[in-house]
Amino acid sequence: MQDEPKTDVPTWPKRADLKVLNHDLVRVDAREKVTGKARYTHDIRVAGMVYARLLLAPVPALSIKKLDLSAALKVHGVVGAVVLEGKRTRWLGEPIAAIAATTPERAEDGLRAIVLEYETEGFVVDEAQALAPDAPKVHAKEAKVTTDGDRAKADAACAAAAHVIDEIYSVPVQHHACLETHGVVVDYEGGEEATVYCSTQATFSFAGDAAEELGLKANRVTGIVEHMGGGFGSKFGLGAEGMAACRLSKAVKRPVHLMMTRRDEFLAAGNRSGGKVRLKLAASADGKLVGMTAERKKFGGVGDGSMTKLPFVYSVEEAFSSTVPVYTNLDSNRAMRAPGYPQGAFAMESALDELAYKVGVDPLAMRITNLKDAVWHRHLKRVAQEIGWDAHPHKTKPGDPNATDCIGIGFGIARWGGGGGEGTEVEVRIEKDGSVTASVGTQDLGTGTRTYVAAITAEEFGLKLADVTARIGSTKLGRATGSGGSTTTGSLAPAVKVAAYNAAKALRAKLAPVFGVAAARIEFKDGQVRDSQGEKPVITWKQACGMLPAEGLSATGEWSRAANKSLAATGVHGAQAAKVRVDTRTGRVQVLEMIAMQDCGLPLNRISVVSQTNGGMIQALSYALHEERLIDSELGIMLNPSFESYKVSGSLEMPMMRTIIDDEDERGVIGVAEATCIPGHSAIANAVFNACGARVRDLPLTPDKILAALGKVV
Amino acid sequence: MTQRTDEPDPAREDANALSRRRFLKGAGEVAAGGVIASGLIGATARTAAGSASAAEVETLAGEVDIELTINGAKQTLKVEPRTTLLSALRNHCSPTLTGTKLVCDRGNCGACTVIVDGSPRYACLQLAVDLRGKEIRTIEGLATGDELTPLQDEFCKQDALMCGFCTPGFLMSITAALEKKPNCSLEEVKQSCAGNVCRCGTYPHIFTAALAAGKRMGGR
Repeated sequence: MQDEPKTDVPTWPKRADLKVLNHDLVRVDAREKVTGKARYTHDIRVAGMVYARLLLAPVPALSIKKLDLSAALKVHGVVGAVVLEGKRTRWLGEPIAAIAATTPERAEDGLRAIVLEYETEGFVVDEAQALAPDAPKVHAKEAKVTTDGDRAKADAACAAAAHVIDEIYSVPVQHHACLETHGVVVDYEGGEEATVYCSTQATFSFAGDAAEELGLKANRVTGIVEHMGGGFGSKFGLGAEGMAACRLSKAVKRPVHLMMTRRDEFLAAGNRSGGKVRLKLAASADGKLVGMTAERKKFGGVGDGSMTKLPFVYSVEEAFSSTVPVYTNLDSNRAMRAPGYPQGAFAMESALDELAYKVGVDPLAMRITNLKDAVWHRHLKRVAQEIGWDAHPHKTKPGDPNATDCIGIGFGIARWGGGGGEGTEVEVRIEKDGSVTASVGTQDLGTGTRTYVAAITAEEFGLKLADVTARIGSTKLGRATGSGGSTTTGSLAPAVKVAAYNAAKALRAKLAPVFGVAAARIEFKDGQVRDSQGEKPVITWKQACGMLPAEGLSATGEWSRAANKSLAATGVHGAQAAKVRVDTRTGRVQVLEMIAMQDCGLPLNRISVVSQTNGGMIQALSYALHEERLIDSELGIMLNPSFESYKVSGSLEMPMMRTIIDDEDERGVIGVAEATCIPGHSAIANAVFNACGARVRDLPLTPDKILAALGKVV
Repeated sequence: MTQRTDEPDPAREDANALSRRRFLKGAGEVAAGGVIASGLIGATARTAAGSASAAEVETLAGEVDIELTINGAKQTLKVEPRTTLLSALRNHCSPTLTGTKLVCDRGNCGACTVIVDGSPRYACLQLAVDLRGKEIRTIEGLATGDELTPLQDEFCKQDALMCGFCTPGFLMSITAALEKKPNCSLEEVKQSCAGNVCRCGTYPHIFTAALAAGKRMGGR
């Protein structure tokens, strides 16, 4: 794009001059959310609507002998059913049929009346089964081994090093556990047009799929996502559930509401792949990392799984990795907040920590020695200071496991790329009465996009946040990219800024003759319109807009490389510290405190950056201590497909938390979601070792493993 | 030390009412057993008076009209005896009250918490027919017109919500606690919402909001 024409591109004001952005803002949709008025896909109710449920494969691999819907169709209230897979399924929970009825309860009655006779085929659900010589094949293709680096050099570097550790680190399959399950409402009763409501991270990716499934033209299907109850990477596209709802709707000519049950969600809505790394890590006598070999396995069910490259953020002179997916007859992994990073980071952060104690340097110093980027040095030192590392009694040796109170501190590093891309178009409209609307079809996952669409616009016009209405979540509005990989802010914020800037420019041009000054002299500040030279009388925003023609004024803006360069950036850093108490009699771990320091360029809404960073730490805490999908190897069923046995952290596990935004970062906007959930679980595991010498290399850090690491149980 | 919070809080199980959990047990695990294939499930429920006398037990079957008092207004709705309060609110009321969220449908997450006669209850574990004669408050009934309660207002100010799907449940659980004792300590606030799950991770903000609201409600 070297020949891109020179365009008039805005910049952010100086931070000291910002009146709305970089402040703590009350979300524009907070009132709707605290009064129960916010309408999520699951809350959509349209006349004549029926409720649908899915029949999922009860075993990991089966061939269908008989699938008879006739009894189900006779159940009171059932209006229709469709077969989704009539022959063979190859993963536990694969959808087989869907049924619709006048109430959710009757849909469940109908589901139970479906006759499914099947033969269980050979399956594999764990590593040992999958790697057995005569294992049933999950895919026709062989698992592909990929390598990175020079094995001979890495081996030689490890062999010659002063200190080396060689251990196996593993993480379980984690579930997104979005509180709003995957679901869709297809408002279609036959005819040419349909409206599809979907709980999704990508407003513009499912309407087209729905159109195809319904046999309609794409431009006759509207996609709506007013609010959505969490995605964390699992909600892109229409999904099997959306396809099923479309087919049911087409069959029964009534609107269909299909929301997955919690059990469905655990079985068939994706997950974060598990992982296992045999990691050999070597250091010189003074703690410099000189060699690494990593043998990595990814457990993504029928999917490939994901694991970030090692040595993660650290510098190692000679590093080699081999990586292979281990396929099983289980639901595919999907993207989950920082895909692959929490898995890879856990192995690296644990091994580096272990090595630090072996070398005899403190783990903070070990990290600083092996991190090139000085931003991380600064972040690490700050979180260490805040959590009380200086005064901590044991830095190069773990605490005494027989002490009454085993307190430990550990660290981890955050990084993510982020950045933005093209495909976002925003319209800003100013009405004659002074009201302002910023519109774009994007979605708000709870990250606060709706709020900053309004905030960026308000800032441009010198208005208050409440003076601007943000309209999002519809394919009838300007197109927008899906929310993945922390790219929404980098894609959306520049487009909003350009639209608002263009609208302001157009308004100045209209007002210049009225003021009798050059357009450039007109400024919008504190709800007023004035001459920057102070020679002309000040008028209110409303008075100024009153001079517009009846149709008001509108302008558009889109993401461009030039706007991106001026307004956005890529690459965030962070460091986190955790302080824990370990009860060495029971093996219980209590996280006492977590501190994060995070950069994110320009914080659009400070309190939301804090919320999201705390949220990342909490998800990591939950991953560290509780979460784990359990599959029975013999039966091939999931043992914990509910929140009573798949535990997610609650209020009683919450530590004191603090997020420090790095205000020395003066770059443009950067998304911050992914980075913040990467370090926490490693910091906690490292803190457990620091507390009492229990090195647990397999998450979650359950009491049995702590006691085993202390030699108290075998 | 931390405690497991994934078990239902016994304090939330009304000792005299027929909870859904007990009903399901009594019916031989209808949900898992797959023996009943129509909407004609009978249930034995207490009368509105709630007396323990066996003579006053009534048997309901098929669709029945019941009157519920929701947010101070009486409403007649048609439900089956097996219809949970959660389903009644979300699917059978007119207009539907969808502010109360369905997340787990088995008393594990608190997203459907409502206040019944002053105490928090999981709406997914209550049968609608059992709620006759009781005062049911939902998220839609907290604010007075445009005026938010101090807790709702502090949730907004402290950014105690992200996706917002757990928010109504947390608000109802903590409202019930603060109405009984405005000057809740941090530990008491944590206990009051120990039966609620938030996946985005808003807990610290929720605690701050609850403590600030408690002060405004007369706590110290």
